[in-house]
Amino acid sequence: MKVYDVVPGLEFNEEDDLQQSPAWFLDATHSVPPWTPMFGWFWINFCRHGMQYGAETLSLPTVKGWDWRFKDGGGYLCLLFVDSDKEKEERQKKFREAIRPFVDNYDGLWGGYVKEMLKRYDQVKALNLDTATNIQLLENFEQVINTCRRMWEIHMHMMYGTYTPYVLFEQLCKQMLNIDDTHPTFQKLVSGFDNESFRVDRRLWEFSKKAKDMGLQDLFMETPAKQIKAKLETSDKGKTFLKEFDQFLDKEAGWRMERMAEINVPTWQEDPTPGFETIKLYMKKGGDFDLDEDRKKAERERKEAEKEVLAKVTQEQKGWFSMLLKVAQNCSRFSEEHNHYLDLYTHALIRRSCMGLGKRWAKAGTIHQPEDIFFLIPDEVRRAGINPDKFNLKPLVERRKKEWQEWGQRGNPPAIMKEGFTLDQAIGGLVQSLDPIALKVVVGSMPVVRTELKADLYGTCGSPGVAEGIARVISRDEDLPQIQKGDILVSASTSPAWTPVFSLINGVVVDRGASLSHAAIVGREYGIPVVMNVFEGTTKIKSGQRIRVDANMGAVYILDK
Amino acid sequence: MDALRLSGAGRHHEGKPMGGKWIYWFGELGKEAYDSVGKKCANLGELTKIGLRVPPGFAISVDGYRIFMEETGAGEEIKEYVRREFKDTKDVAQELEASKVIRSIIEGKEMPSEMQEELIAHYKKLCEECQQADLSVAVRSSGAVSMPGQMESYLNVKGAQEVVKKVIQVWGSAFTARAISFRFQQGLPIDWAPIGVAVLKMVSAKCAGVVLTVIPTTGDTSKIIIEGNWGLGESVVSGEVNPDSYIVDKETLDVERTVVEKTKMVVYNNKGTILVDIPEEKKRLSILVEEEVQEIARICKEVEKHYGVPQDIEWVIDLDLPFPKNLFFVQARPAKSVQKKENDADYIIDLMTRLFK
Repeated sequence: MKVYDVVPGLEFNEEDDLQQSPAWFLDATHSVPPWTPMFGWFWINFCRHGMQYGAETLSLPTVKGWDWRFKDGGGYLCLLFVDSDKEKEERQKKFREAIRPFVDNYDGLWGGYVKEMLKRYDQVKALNLDTATNIQLLENFEQVINTCRRMWEIHMHMMYGTYTPYVLFEQLCKQMLNIDDTHPTFQKLVSGFDNESFRVDRRLWEFSKKAKDMGLQDLFMETPAKQIKAKLETSDKGKTFLKEFDQFLDKEAGWRMERMAEINVPTWQEDPTPGFETIKLYMKKGGDFDLDEDRKKAERERKEAEKEVLAKVTQEQKGWFSMLLKVAQNCSRFSEEHNHYLDLYTHALIRRSCMGLGKRWAKAGTIHQPEDIFFLIPDEVRRAGINPDKFNLKPLVERRKKEWQEWGQRGNPPAIMKEGFTLDQAIGGLVQSLDPIALKVVVGSMPVVRTELKADLYGTCGSPGVAEGIARVISRDEDLPQIQKGDILVSASTSPAWTPVFSLINGVVVDRGASLSHAAIVGREYGIPVVMNVFEGTTKIKSGQRIRVDANMGAVYILDK
Repeated sequence: MDALRLSGAGRHHEGKPMGGKWIYWFGELGKEAYDSVGKKCANLGELTKIGLRVPPGFAISVDGYRIFMEETGAGEEIKEYVRREFKDTKDVAQELEASKVIRSIIEGKEMPSEMQEELIAHYKKLCEECQQADLSVAVRSSGAVSMPGQMESYLNVKGAQEVVKKVIQVWGSAFTARAISFRFQQGLPIDWAPIGVAVLKMVSAKCAGVVLTVIPTTGDTSKIIIEGNWGLGESVVSGEVNPDSYIVDKETLDVERTVVEKTKMVVYNNKGTILVDIPEEKKRLSILVEEEVQEIARICKEVEKHYGVPQDIEWVIDLDLPFPKNLFFVQARPAKSVQKKENDADYIIDLMTRLFK
């Protein structure tokens, strides 16, 4: 029986697509495990649109952004190069003007975008999904589609615009100071900033102290996170706490989910379990743990690193160099903060709108249960949008669900290449493109294998430091609560919703990542060592093994083999 | 001779009547006194007012000049000479001749006795204050408009009679050939050039320099930059030498110091200042110690606060006095806005564009 395309027009087609590009890379950070059809449709269409929009708006001289395909729940991508020198030259001219705001008006630009998005979110949230008509629900869904498209435009304009000066800064640091962005001093330079994502963590930390002050610590420690809400509701002080916590979710932190790039898990607002989980984590940290002190330390170290570096450049270079340093620091600030205002928030609202439809349709008999909506795509939503009772989409959902389960079991290959084309060639092409996203997020630096260290795994330094602890291999968000104080987190990559565990662990090892990946940025903010690009961490290291990470040298040692 | 080239007939009798106040301690002056005592004196007065230590001394206002010219008759003689001899054409030989004649008219006069007594009384009091008989002073011109290099200053002047003589010579220096030429080109009177005179203690400079309360290359106002060299501040102000520099964070007061090898410095000699070699043992030495850096930074922050805009301040450290009495300030003015930010942005954009080549 026919199963319709999930992303019409952008499904991977080996024959044609390998003609266009000899290599396609799996976006393992976001599309492992495989996406649901609904989310895949949003991501492939609009992340793709945003990347090309961003590259074109900035008129990047060598690249036109990325192309994306959907294959079995995975996102595959390749670069779109500028071929002729003449075109490169023309793009350079426009680039000079387009990049200027990122050098001299970052705060104005980003502040304006944040305002625009918050306004859109307010409009989308204004509709009461329970009382809305079918037409209004459909309209709300269309609004969310437009919001998502706009979000990716802003996202990628900002990302390209901040990463380009960052790449310049790193290259100059290499030339002038002989340090690259895996060097501890460099990493101190770009950390120690306050941002919105971090403020949410601080509030959770404050709630952990509050719970303790209110005598609720035992309740938190002894109750599984999932049941904390029900338990709190049984006492007066529990209710008081819950009331304040609900307000916090509503106003500040509710619009996020555990997995950043998916919509099939509840938002914090629907289910505050992850928030309680984090509060428990902070309680486990013990009474003397001071989140603010950690932050201040990072800030102090940044200022020292700034001094150190500025002392090494000549008086004549100081002016523009310190200006460029600020611009590069903005990049780091953006990298961590944008998730809060862009991806997480938008995706939470896509979920909200979908669940509004899903509930209505489950009642109308269009689908079995509300969550089934995630196995449909927008065209199918439109098919049944106004008259859900007239359509039976259950068979379609069943086929898609079955398919989706198979995708998860099979897994997607990390790259799809033309015969005779090697991974080295493919990565070489990415590096040559000078595309800042390719360099700083997708590829990263290749580890140097220093055999004299006799380490078990070699990677690059994402955040400096040395630590020892019990390895905890985490592949799914649900496993996060297994993490104990002092553990070393081992995973394929990390996502923004994992940020709170960074205050509990001693170190991180990730299979893939570059200096602007989530694990690196957050590791630096929390001052713990992060080794990345070890490729085989999750397969070679077993949970419970004692390991030692030396991020400065990019080495990982398994102590009890 | 065009009437324009002469001062107005009634001009000599304008202003205060004879015997009015014409001599002031710096502490009595402020920036409102620009016109009466000239810029240099008024500035020193203003600095004293806001609590900065300036070299002690006093100012003779333009009324002093007027009284001298009138009572001795020198004013009339000069006017007469100019009316008679000075042709209204640009002629260097004529300017040189006029300078010679006029200066000899002025220097040939005795200072009126009442005036002399008052001037000497001030000098004696200054000697007492500095606890030094026959104190070494600098006698400097102080014009209402700055005419750099046109008028003369006398250094290392000792003894009451010398001071009287040098004050008259400074008045005469308003008629150097260059000053005459300048006034001719500006359409100003040739025969009448009232200037103020500053008499102040000579500071034997161990080291000196400038402070900017904004980093000129970046426009960063969170920091202060102190630059200085051994000897007098001239070598730093003129940008002739590569000075030591101390960048002080206004908030944390952390100091980032750059001590360089210094080879030449400016010092006083009998005639004025000369450039000499710095002794070998001092070449690589930091010119300031920590407490001096902190004291300069602290005071300059206050000055900036007082004026509300970033300042360009000249300082000097005395060789003999103990800290903190050895720190003097001689000039404070708004820092020229050296906004290189625009250029820096352009440069960064250039580099980024090249990145893609």
